[in-house]
Amino acid sequence: MAFTLYSLLQAALLCVNAIAVLHEERFLKNIGWGTDQGIGGFGEEPGIKSQLMNLIRSVRTVMRVPLIIVNSVAIVLLLLFG
Amino acid sequence: MHPAGLAAAAAGTPRLRKWPSKRRIPVSQPGMADPHQLFDDTSSAQSRGYRAQQAASGLGYPATSTLPQAAFLADPVSNMAMAYGSSLAAQGKELVDKNIDRFIPVTKLKYYFAVDTVYVGKKLGLLVFPYLHQDWEVQYQQDTPVAPRFDVNAPDLYIPAMAFITYILVAGLALGTQDRFSPDLLGLQASSALAWLALEVVAILLSLYLVTVNTDLTTIDLVAFLGYKYVGMIGGVLMGLLFGKMGYYLVLGWCCVSIFVFMIRTLRLKILAQAAAEGVPVRGARNQLRMYLTMAVAAAQPLLMYWLTFHLVR
Repeated sequence: MAFTLYSLLQAALLCVNAIAVLHEERFLKNIGWGTDQGIGGFGEEPGIKSQLMNLIRSVRTVMRVPLIIVNSVAIVLLLLFG
Repeated sequence: MHPAGLAAAAAGTPRLRKWPSKRRIPVSQPGMADPHQLFDDTSSAQSRGYRAQQAASGLGYPATSTLPQAAFLADPVSNMAMAYGSSLAAQGKELVDKNIDRFIPVTKLKYYFAVDTVYVGKKLGLLVFPYLHQDWEVQYQQDTPVAPRFDVNAPDLYIPAMAFITYILVAGLALGTQDRFSPDLLGLQASSALAWLALEVVAILLSLYLVTVNTDLTTIDLVAFLGYKYVGMIGGVLMGLLFGKMGYYLVLGWCCVSIFVFMIRTLRLKILAQAAAEGVPVRGARNQLRMYLTMAVAAAQPLLMYWLTFHLVR
């Protein structure tokens, strides 16, 4: 049961990496999750699918640069301390 | 609150209520301290006298100093150094005080620790026996929630924090009775429980975002509600230490069911729409989804309670 805070951080980093890697043109459009395919009408409450698509798009936009930094730090730490 | 959804809900129920009915307590009530004040005022003449004495014998060039280090301070250079050092410290303290509010919402946190013994007793009783309690709404005072010491339904952070620390200590005790104790295991238990808590909070926030629930459930509220399960865990492990596996399963089962009922009744008011919370079942995919979310959150509590304690009781 060695579930430490550091392993939680590592798992979170891997999950965010996975979301950031989804390519817009090659993948998301093909399964109908592109950013221009999900916009519902105004005044309608967004369903789960459009919320998910918004989330993916915002993660990809916002976390691009910080992910580079955090990934580099994680790589260096893993190389040094195993 | 979404106007379209509310209108539909209001039209469907016989009672027309637009906003959650917030019970307001009258501001002037005999026998109750000013609700705006979170903590009792403990400043007294004693502290003023102490400060005056400090100022008189402190900085400057004291000819007759009452401090025990009089000989050391008579040297003017060290006097100046002390004056400079204490002014630097005062500046640093000012800077920290000004900026701390940006990173940790200290004033908001103070609300969650404004408790007293009566509240703690009642809340602990409610956590293990929530079946007789009728009214689960939080009282409001001019649109801000009342401090926990005045309302037993308000969430607080004192019980979860204390229960967490007690859980770590009890885990150490349990491991010690089985000759499996070593000091770093305590740290491992603590970070493991904290990691599960963080994971729960992130999962619930994510699902609240996906289901687009308009709720006033803040993150700190959520941490408080999720921290209440440590009370049941402590009870279970202690009974397991005293009476073996049978005692552990009995008490843990009882606490699991109580926490399940407690969470459902508390979260129902926060997550579900007003109409459904009043007991009238409202058909609609949204409300059903919210009900499922509430039940999932409540069902995760007993699972985590078992998962975090079963390895402690042999």
